[in-house]
Amino acid sequence: MADTTQISLQGETPADLSEVEDVKATRPGSRAGWREYGVAIAIVGFATLIALALRSYLAATNLAMVYLLGVVAVATRCNRRAAVMASFLSVAAFDFFCVPPYLTFQVSEYQYLITFAGMLVVALVISAQTSRIRAQAARAVDRESRTQSLYRLSRRLSTKTRVFDAALAAAEVAEEVFGSPVTIFLPEDGRISFRKRTSDQLLISTAEEEIAQKVFDHGRKAGKGTQSFPEAAATYVPLKGASRIVGVMAILPGTHGETLHDDQHHLLDLFANQTALAIERTQSQNAAADARMQMETEEMRSSLLSAVSHDLRTPLASITGAASTLRSQGEKLAPGVRDELLESISEEALRLSRLVGNLLDMTRLESGVELRRDLYPLEEIVGAALQRLEAQLAGREVMATVPEDLPLVHVDDVLLGQVLVNLLENAAKYSPAGSAIEIAATATLAAVQLEVRDRGPGFAEGEEKRLFEKFYRGKSEGVRGAGLGLAICRAIVMAHRGSIEALHREGGGAIFRIRLPLDGRPL
Amino acid sequence: MKPLVLMIEDDPQIRRFLRAALAAEDYQFHEALTAEEGIAQAAARQPDLVLLDLGLPDRDGLEVIRGIRLWSQMPIVVLSARGQEKDKIAALDLGADDYVAKPFAVGELLARIRAALRRAAPLAADGADTVIRFGAVQADFEKRVITVGGEEVHLTPNEYKLLQVLIKHAGRVVTQRQLLNEVWGPQHTEQSQYLRVYVAQLRRKLERDPARPRYLQTEPGVGYRLTLDS
Repeated sequence: MADTTQISLQGETPADLSEVEDVKATRPGSRAGWREYGVAIAIVGFATLIALALRSYLAATNLAMVYLLGVVAVATRCNRRAAVMASFLSVAAFDFFCVPPYLTFQVSEYQYLITFAGMLVVALVISAQTSRIRAQAARAVDRESRTQSLYRLSRRLSTKTRVFDAALAAAEVAEEVFGSPVTIFLPEDGRISFRKRTSDQLLISTAEEEIAQKVFDHGRKAGKGTQSFPEAAATYVPLKGASRIVGVMAILPGTHGETLHDDQHHLLDLFANQTALAIERTQSQNAAADARMQMETEEMRSSLLSAVSHDLRTPLASITGAASTLRSQGEKLAPGVRDELLESISEEALRLSRLVGNLLDMTRLESGVELRRDLYPLEEIVGAALQRLEAQLAGREVMATVPEDLPLVHVDDVLLGQVLVNLLENAAKYSPAGSAIEIAATATLAAVQLEVRDRGPGFAEGEEKRLFEKFYRGKSEGVRGAGLGLAICRAIVMAHRGSIEALHREGGGAIFRIRLPLDGRPL
Repeated sequence: MKPLVLMIEDDPQIRRFLRAALAAEDYQFHEALTAEEGIAQAAARQPDLVLLDLGLPDRDGLEVIRGIRLWSQMPIVVLSARGQEKDKIAALDLGADDYVAKPFAVGELLARIRAALRRAAPLAADGADTVIRFGAVQADFEKRVITVGGEEVHLTPNEYKLLQVLIKHAGRVVTQRQLLNEVWGPQHTEQSQYLRVYVAQLRRKLERDPARPRYLQTEPGVGYRLTLDS
């Protein structure tokens, strides 16, 4: 396993492609094949030169050894056909140059015929053996590179959670490995459409859409290099998963027009198979996630109903009670009591108004509200929030530190203002009257950070994440709320691709920290 | 003379408490329940101020503003539901003077009405005040000198113009579009981030704590309001 990892690391560089190409290069018939015949002839010629130089000192049969050495040299370097040719050529040259009479193929003594036969047999055996070893080595290299590329593919696929991303990754790896443009087509409503594809540019005529559709329907390879539609520009491979076909992979001839050979076809099938399984897995994961979300939505809806009906009824009960008391017994009540009842009516009405506002905000956010973003100085948004909460923050020290050189933030000012209002309201609600609240903004290259700090009781260990859940109420006693404020904050910040977190403050209290990306990329 | 207020509002409960509040403040008032009736009453009664609900049964309240502005500059204060910044901006851009978001406290509404009436009152014979004071700021538009706590501050021409426009509309909310139009001209009404940067600079020069502006206030999603000491 450790080995494979290492290989795959090297595999990230283009170096391993050359191995695939090498295997291809040694195939007979290619231009490199002719070069090998040349090498064979040259080596035989060189052996002849040596033999000629030694001719006067050695017996002719010993000169045959020089040629055999030459054949060994050819066999280790060139393909089998070149080695066989070198074997015959060596026997001929030996006869011509080393066996008297010289410079003719005639033979003076018939015992040389045995030498020729022995020499030819040995040369041919050497050629056969050596080329078998070479072929084995080449296959090993081939296998290794195939394992490497499949491993690379599976590694890339394993990180993808969306079908399209998985297809895109597979197409990219396939393109690297095969050195040819690769596009994966995914079906829409059971039909292959060239519009839903992984590559930006479509290098295939849309007329071939039909071939791709056939491949998708029947699950058989078609196009260039196959039996059906061999005139097509690309080869189409079905992406066959365990239970169904999930798409079609199209591979075009490489930049030099080279087509795939048999081994590569086999590798392509393996690629298609692995890709299909990954896509299928992603699809079923997504389906499971959807189902889970559906369930959560249902659950949420029922908890929303019970929470809302309770939270709406409580202030309504107080208002109705106070108002009816004033109506029926107004005359008998002491002026102080009357004032109290009036005050509770207006306070409860405000509470009701805030709750309805929060519910509306939450609904709006969940139905995917469109952000109306523009560039704003953060200072202005902070200022507007403080202004809105003037009454609630009265009698407290509020320190706002917003550096002058803070970059403008690209936000929806109304929504981000709402986040600040909710955080400040919370700070005011949960911390003792008169304690200070701090707002501090800082910037890094990538993000603007905004903190709201209070000196309240903070929150319990382990509540950090739950605080932002809908209808979750902190463990603090005596504070009433629907548990929507922070959920709204999180929804808004997430819509801005930012982050929000709750931290314990040194010396007691809570810090709520918002981070907004400056370049629009998620944090 | 008691000022005459025309309230165009269809909800009987809201009319009921508005009636009580206006009567207690010694205003005269008329009521209209529909847009149609509102426009007709505005023409017939020539009120000093119109209190307009945007959600009327027969027609969009915005059309009432359009109808009245065809022939009169009488102050119009809009009552709108919370969170509908678009409607607020549309109302203001059509010529409404101010808005109060429902639900509101009567005190806030009465303050807005008073401010709108004050702005509409014919200027005193000695002409518009050329010297405006708010907080430590003193703006002398005749001498073109702005001082803060007696110290002269230098404003760029655009900052000066911006301050002038805000003071002209002091007490009421001015939309970003209106400000851009009046300071930079009608071809620049979309470039609101410039406006924000200028407002931020102006705050730094005039406000004690620019992150908690006392005078140059933001109406999120709508525009700005210069609040003078009352």
